[in-house]
Amino acid sequence: MIERRQFLRLGLAGLVLASPLGGCALRSPRSSESPLLISAADTPDGRHTLVGTDLHGERRFLIPVDERCHGGCPRPGSSQLVLFARRPGRHFYVLDAKQGTLIQQVAAGQDHHFYGHGVFSHDGRYLYATENHYPSGQGWIGVYDAQRNYQRIRRLSAGGIGPHELRLHPDGSTLVVALGGIQTHPDYERIKLNLATMAPALLLMDRHTGDILQRHTPSHHQLSCRHLDISPDGIVVAGYQYQGPDWQTPPLIARLNTQSGQFEEIDLPQQVQRTLNNYTASIAIHPNTPNTLVTAPRGGRALLLNHQSGRLIQHFQIPDCAGATADYDGFVISSGNGRLYRITHDTHSLQPLGHQTIRWDNHLTPYALT
Amino acid sequence: MTANRPLIRRLRSTLFMGLLALTPLSVQAETARERWHADIGQGYLALQESSSRLADAASAYCETPNGPVRERVEALWREAFLNWQRIRFVNFGPIEQNSRAWQFQFWPDPKNLVANKVRYWLNSDSPLTAQTLASAGVAVQGFPALEYLLTDSTFTQSGQSLPLTRTCELLTAITTYVHANARQVASDWQALKPHYLATEDYTDTTIRAALSTLEVLRDRRLGGPMGLRGNDKRNPYQADAWRSQTSLATLAATTEGLESLFVPGLKLELEAAGQTQLGSPLDARMAAVQANFDTLPDAMAPLLEDNNRFRELQALYIDLVQLEQIMNEEIASALGVVQGFNASDGD
Repeated sequence: MIERRQFLRLGLAGLVLASPLGGCALRSPRSSESPLLISAADTPDGRHTLVGTDLHGERRFLIPVDERCHGGCPRPGSSQLVLFARRPGRHFYVLDAKQGTLIQQVAAGQDHHFYGHGVFSHDGRYLYATENHYPSGQGWIGVYDAQRNYQRIRRLSAGGIGPHELRLHPDGSTLVVALGGIQTHPDYERIKLNLATMAPALLLMDRHTGDILQRHTPSHHQLSCRHLDISPDGIVVAGYQYQGPDWQTPPLIARLNTQSGQFEEIDLPQQVQRTLNNYTASIAIHPNTPNTLVTAPRGGRALLLNHQSGRLIQHFQIPDCAGATADYDGFVISSGNGRLYRITHDTHSLQPLGHQTIRWDNHLTPYALT
Repeated sequence: MTANRPLIRRLRSTLFMGLLALTPLSVQAETARERWHADIGQGYLALQESSSRLADAASAYCETPNGPVRERVEALWREAFLNWQRIRFVNFGPIEQNSRAWQFQFWPDPKNLVANKVRYWLNSDSPLTAQTLASAGVAVQGFPALEYLLTDSTFTQSGQSLPLTRTCELLTAITTYVHANARQVASDWQALKPHYLATEDYTDTTIRAALSTLEVLRDRRLGGPMGLRGNDKRNPYQADAWRSQTSLATLAATTEGLESLFVPGLKLELEAAGQTQLGSPLDARMAAVQANFDTLPDAMAPLLEDNNRFRELQALYIDLVQLEQIMNEEIASALGVVQGFNASDGD
C-alpha cells in the first residue's frame, strides 16, 4: 500500500531524474573515462582476495582478505570503495580504489553479520548495509558514518528476514531493498531455516525515518528476492532465486515502476526460463539505455532485457557468469572461470575482454577513475 | 561397533547382494540418466526400508526394553545411516527440498548443537512426536541425534539415558521422522523421473554432484580431522560419526555409493561420448581407494592419535586425490562438465 504523499514524492523525484552523484548504482559511462572494476575473487588454491582490473582485463591490484567477499559499492566523491564479506560476513573492507590499498576493516556489531551488500547516500557520507541479527533472525539496515571512521550510528528495521542487495533511489532518500525472506544462522552453516514460512519482498524505505513506503510481494512465497538495480527514471529490476522444486519454473525477474507503484513479473519464453535453473545472480541496468542485464550462473546464461517493455532482447550462454555492470557501450560480465566479457548495445554481441587465473565472485563494482 | 572393520566388510557384502538384485532392472536401462535414475532410486529405497526397520525396532525396544533389542536398534541405526552415506552424493532433486539432506545429517557441528538440542528437548516439557519434531530444527531431526542417544559415551552413562521414558519418546519421534523423510524422498525421486529423463542438464548436474561429493569427502570429511585444512591440528571431532566410532565407515559407504550408484551410469555416458577407454582407469582408481578401506578400522580417532597409523590415513588421502584427479581432469573434462565457482555456491 502506498501513501499518497509518498507516492507523489517518488513521482516528482522520478521527473527530476538522477543526481549525477549516485551511490552503488552510479555509472559514468562516458567514453573518455576508463573505469576500474572491483570484485571479490578466489585464487585457484582457494585464497580470498579483492581484485581491481581495468576493462582490458589487466589487473591493477590484488588484496588478500580473510573472508570470501560478495558485493560492493563506491563512495561518491571519494576514491573509497567498500566490499562486504559474504553471508555470514563479519566485516566490510574499505579500499582506496585509486591506490589499490586496504584502508580499513569494519566489524559487524555483536550478534550481527552482513549479508554482502551496501549503498552510500549521494553525498558519500552514510553507508547503508544489510545485516542479520542472527539470534532473532530479524533483518536490519545498518547505517555507518563514513566521516566518522565508519562508526555505526543507527539501525533501521528491514521489515522482515534476509535483506540482501539494496540501492538508492534517484530521489536520494529512498532505499530500494531486496528482502530475500530466508532465515539463516551462522551456527547452521548456510541452512535455510524457514523455507515453509518465507516472506520475501521488494521494499522501498525512507532512509531517514526507516518507514516502509512500498512493499511488493513475489508471486510465490519461496521466490527469494535477492538482487536489484534501479534506473535513473526509477524503474527497478529485481532478480529472484527459487527455493522450491527444481522441476518448477516460476518467473525470476520482477519489474517495479516506483512512480506508479506498478509491480510485475517478467514472463520469459519457456525454453529460456528453463535454462536459468531457478537462480539469478546480478542485475545491471544501463543508465543511458532501456537495457538491463541479468546473470544466471547455475544455467550459465545472461539475459539482455528491455526493462521499459519487459521484453527479452537476447540471451547468451556464458559458463558460470555472475558479476555484471554497465559500462559506456554496454555491459561487462564476469565469470567464475576468470573471464570477463562485454555485451555491446549496437550489435548485442558477446566479446571476450580478458582472462585471469582467478575465480571472479558474484558481483562487479564499477569505479570511475577521474 | 567393537571389533575392527566388521562394519566396512559387512557393508560391502550386503551391497554385493544388493547389486545382484538390481541387475535385471539396470540391464534394461539404456541411457546414463535412465541408469542413474534407477540406481539412485534403489539407493533411496534402501534408505527408506532400513529406516523403517529402525523405527519399528526403536518402538519395540521402548515398549519392552532389553539388551538384544537395544543392540538391534544400534545395528539398524548403523545400517540406515550407512545407506544414507551411500546416497549422500545426490545433492539435487527432492533431497534439496526443505534442507532434507541437513535433516538426515546435520554436519559439520563445531558447536556441538546436536548434543545441546537433544538435551534441550529431553529437559523440556513440550510434547515429543514426529510432528513436533518437524519444527525443532535440523540438529535434532536426524541420524546424529540418534547417534547421540545410542552411543555418546557420557550420555549413555547418565540418568537420562535409554530407556528412560522421555528419552524413548525422543528416540521413537526421531526414528519415525527419519523414516517419513526417507519415504518422502524415495517417492519424490520416482515422481521426478519424467523430468529427470527429459532434462539434459541433469546429466551434468549428476556428474557435478559426484565431483562435489569427492571434494567434500577428501577435503572436509577426511582432510578436516587430519588437520590438512590450514590449521595443522588433528581433530577427530571434525569427522562424521565420531561418537559411534564409525567415521571411516561413513567414508567407505559414500565411496561405495559412488561406485555402485553413480559409476555405472557414468560409464554409459562415457560410452555415448565415445570415451569408453576412460572407464578402466576410473575402475582402477576406485579400487585403489576401496583397498584402503579393506585394511582400515571403522573409527578414525585411533589413527589420528598414532603417528604410524596416521600414514594409513595419508595413503587414503592420496588415493582420494588421484580418484578426484581422474574424475575432474579426464572424465569431466572429456564430457565437457565444468564445476562452476558461482554456479555451485552463490548467494
